Amino acid sequence: MDTKELYHTASLARLELDEKEAEKLSREVSQMLEYFNHMLELDVSNLEPTTHALMKNNRLRRDVVAEQTVDPDEMLENAPDLEDRFVLIPNVL
Amino acid sequence: MSNKYETFIGLEIHIHLEANTKMFCGCKAQYGDEPNTNICPVCMGYPGVLPMVNEKAMELGYKVARALNCKLSKNTFFERKNYFYPDMPKNYQISQFEEPVGVDGWMDFDTPEGTKKIRIHDVHLEEDAGKMIHAGDMSLCDYNRAGYPLLEIVTEPDIKTPEDTELFLRNFQRMVRYMGVSDGNMDEGSMKCDANISINLVGKGLGTKVELKNMNSPRFVRKGLSYEEERQADMLDQGKALTQETRLWNENRDQTEVMRTKEEAEDYRYFPEPDLPIFRPDQTFFDLVESGLVELPLTRKHRMMEEYKLSADQAEYIHDDLYLADYFEEAVKLGGDSVQLFAWLSSDVKKLLNRENLSLQDSPLTASWLTELLELISSEAISGKIAKKVLDFVFSDKKSPKTIVEEKGMSQVSDPAVLTAAVDKVMAANPDVVEAIKGGDNKQRGFLMGQLMKETGGKAAPVPLQKILAEKLG
Amino acid sequence: MNKELELWKGVLSDGTKKSKLEKYIKGWEEKIGSFLEIDLNRGAYDSNESGALAGIPFGVKDNIAVKGFKLTCGSKMLQTLVSPYSATVVSRLQQAGAQVIGKTNLDEFGMGSSTDNSALQQTNNPWDTERVAGGSSGGSAACVAAGLVPFALGTDTGGSVRQPASFCGIYGLKPTYGAASRYGLTAYASSLETPGILARTVATTKDVFDIIKGEDERDQSSLSYEAEGGQVKTIGYLKIEEGALNADVEASYKSSIKRLEDLEYTLVEVELPTMDYVVPAYYTIAMAEASANLARFNGIRYGYAPFMAENPNELMKKSRHEGFGDEVKLRILLGTYVLRSGFQDQFYVRSQKIRTAIRNDFEKLFTKVDSLVMPIFPTAAFHHGSSDLDSFQQKVADKYTCVANLAGLPALTIPSSVENGLPVGVQLMAPYFGEDRLFEIAVKAEEKYPAPQPEDFDLEWLS
Repeated sequence: MDTKELYHTASLARLELDEKEAEKLSREVSQMLEYFNHMLELDVSNLEPTTHALMKNNRLRRDVVAEQTVDPDEMLENAPDLEDRFVLIPNVL
Repeated sequence: MSNKYETFIGLEIHIHLEANTKMFCGCKAQYGDEPNTNICPVCMGYPGVLPMVNEKAMELGYKVARALNCKLSKNTFFERKNYFYPDMPKNYQISQFEEPVGVDGWMDFDTPEGTKKIRIHDVHLEEDAGKMIHAGDMSLCDYNRAGYPLLEIVTEPDIKTPEDTELFLRNFQRMVRYMGVSDGNMDEGSMKCDANISINLVGKGLGTKVELKNMNSPRFVRKGLSYEEERQADMLDQGKALTQETRLWNENRDQTEVMRTKEEAEDYRYFPEPDLPIFRPDQTFFDLVESGLVELPLTRKHRMMEEYKLSADQAEYIHDDLYLADYFEEAVKLGGDSVQLFAWLSSDVKKLLNRENLSLQDSPLTASWLTELLELISSEAISGKIAKKVLDFVFSDKKSPKTIVEEKGMSQVSDPAVLTAAVDKVMAANPDVVEAIKGGDNKQRGFLMGQLMKETGGKAAPVPLQKILAEKLG
Repeated sequence: MNKELELWKGVLSDGTKKSKLEKYIKGWEEKIGSFLEIDLNRGAYDSNESGALAGIPFGVKDNIAVKGFKLTCGSKMLQTLVSPYSATVVSRLQQAGAQVIGKTNLDEFGMGSSTDNSALQQTNNPWDTERVAGGSSGGSAACVAAGLVPFALGTDTGGSVRQPASFCGIYGLKPTYGAASRYGLTAYASSLETPGILARTVATTKDVFDIIKGEDERDQSSLSYEAEGGQVKTIGYLKIEEGALNADVEASYKSSIKRLEDLEYTLVEVELPTMDYVVPAYYTIAMAEASANLARFNGIRYGYAPFMAENPNELMKKSRHEGFGDEVKLRILLGTYVLRSGFQDQFYVRSQKIRTAIRNDFEKLFTKVDSLVMPIFPTAAFHHGSSDLDSFQQKVADKYTCVANLAGLPALTIPSSVENGLPVGVQLMAPYFGEDRLFEIAVKAEEKYPAPQPEDFDLEWLS
């Protein structure tokens, strides 16, 4: 994978890369992709993809409000930055 | 816009579904609560949690797809739509892509030029994000809305004008309200509409697509599209190329502004949601969907025109609101005259409701009371004028029209003996006027009638009164 | 309840035994560092004191949620996060009386085969502290092998329970996909992973499995458990190419086959035609799913946040840059790439088709044999650092374990032999819901060849 593709992919995944990292990752990524390309050797033309592991169909939840077992405040306290009951994030325009 | 161009408009409409809980967890789906109170580890995207599909949302999704004449999926599944956004806890949205609940449908709507058909590309279920409020150089996140059940309806680019788009949206709003699947309010955010528009020389097919966002009423959708239609035509007239981009409607400046270009477009990397099984509806489920179908607004409008001899405008007015339409039909069933009912509902009743700031549902005037009022008029128990006063009293005293007329002695006098006596008295008191009339001055008749009304306290039935007066005057 | 658990019952409610346990743990932990967090008291409140397993301690891999304990996933990203809720498998054990005494070390977010990818601590193999305990459930395997707890929970995405169990000489069960709830397991590769059990006896493995298995309304991919019984007569053993396994492992594998024959099973050699493609398919799927599963960690609602950021995008990028380790970043990058439009068909979709081919292979196979025996990893426990196996070689070495995850089948590591001072295991596999078959074979083998014990293993104080 070339550097441009690497940075574009990293940006989609919101990963920041410094130059050194990019170099190292680019090598490792290319090695893996080359390895992945072995899959091209197998004829898969008459196979349907398995998108789900074992699954029983039609699992639905009843539309009934659930008891709150976790205090919302406890979760809010985990936020790095808070204001009143809001989770705060920087947004300098 | 000049006639040389043709416009293509398609819509992506999102509606909040009327469910008690969120799409994938048991948190309350409710507006207006304290920020970050309707949250749990699932909708906050904590490590380890899993989504659980809301049964009601699934049912409503299929109902809408059915009402839009879609092919209903026999094995629908969810997918992850990957993009980062601060108010979207998982940084992927659970949505549908390959196999949504419904595809390939259509919806009719009425325009001044007649009924038009719009094709529906697909109907799919997904979850909403939270809300971000911008405050200075900070943003405040509230996740109460994160995970709300949403239904997205995607149309084909079949709409030809911004005006038709507004009409279509109003038809659509009416439809979801009739079905009870969503309140469809765009200003409160329970319905959102993004539009895409392209123009091209007539006969050349679709042009370069521009997406428009941030329009929070059908009217703004129209305004945004009109602006865009003009802007694009100007560009083409000047020989400039259009760019595929997303633009925002700025309602303060009445214009659209670039949000992002095609190059910056996200690659959503859809893939099947491994946490949720495929849903394969059985006959019982499809029966449930069928049994929940209601008569849709447009059908009802056309039926009302036919059945009650209403004009298109009258039927448009009556069927706009489901409660009003039901009310109207109930009143007709109770014997009310459809044209009279329309006249009263669209003027006096409406004025009173506006004055009292009430909806018809909340007002004391039931369909049977309105019918009763109309009966009092047609049986000449009261005059039309008195009826307006009676209506006032219905609102203030919350009593039936009959009771009010009785209690307040407002019924008309049509007893010939009483009327004859009054005529005699008034003629005797105004001999010169009587002479003038007899001499051919018919203008003076009005004066006598006025005096008679005064004499009878306004309750004299006008038709018999005039008859007696005419006889007496010879 | 089995004899081993009977012995451990009430240990935490008996002051004397509890302090002896504490001392024993302390002695070992200085050498192996299997726990990231340990507290013999905190978990008591959430355990049913009248349950059958009351007072029995257990360890939980630190990517599984336990209310009131940290949930670091071995990552700087979640170093300070305390879980506000418990995984279903944990709650079920607590309901049965067992008590969580700590969270065990792992490769960051379960990504690795050595536990060396933990950003927080190094875990050593109780058999040789110069060597790794395996991974990613290395902490759980090490603490069980050392006798600090009778059992521990792990997660198995591509062998993460079975491989460390093999490296540490204990049993490790990866159940049928859906047989035990994933609710509360920090997702790495959702369609592949299951919770798993690490223990020193078959009986304890089975007893714990009986408690945690079964449908969970919080996991719509979980299934009601309907056992696929049937007596085991024929066991297939996978044909291995020459040189694919280290000499020690090969010797151990061969002796396992021989032992199973001695137990009067019919052994037949079998092949899996798609075996050569399983690792690329496995990693394509795992990384694709991981790229989405780990997107939620962005420094906003919880977890690591950078010192300074001016806007949401920078906040997310910095927190992910500073919070994730190299291996995690590599897998997220690759996972993002294989899902990108234009590349999906070549990678992701193709891997899902290969997955179908593997399932078909197994389906055919299980018409001929009742169970399978296979190697687990080409080597025994290797040394810390990449001198023995670099990170790419470690991935390729997942070949024998990841097939069970691709197919969703149950698999159980059983200790086989000790070669040159290091334990080596083999794995048994069965059709869906065929866990009973695995236990049946394992019990018979255990009678003659129980789990070996490392030096300094000493549970005398228990009785």
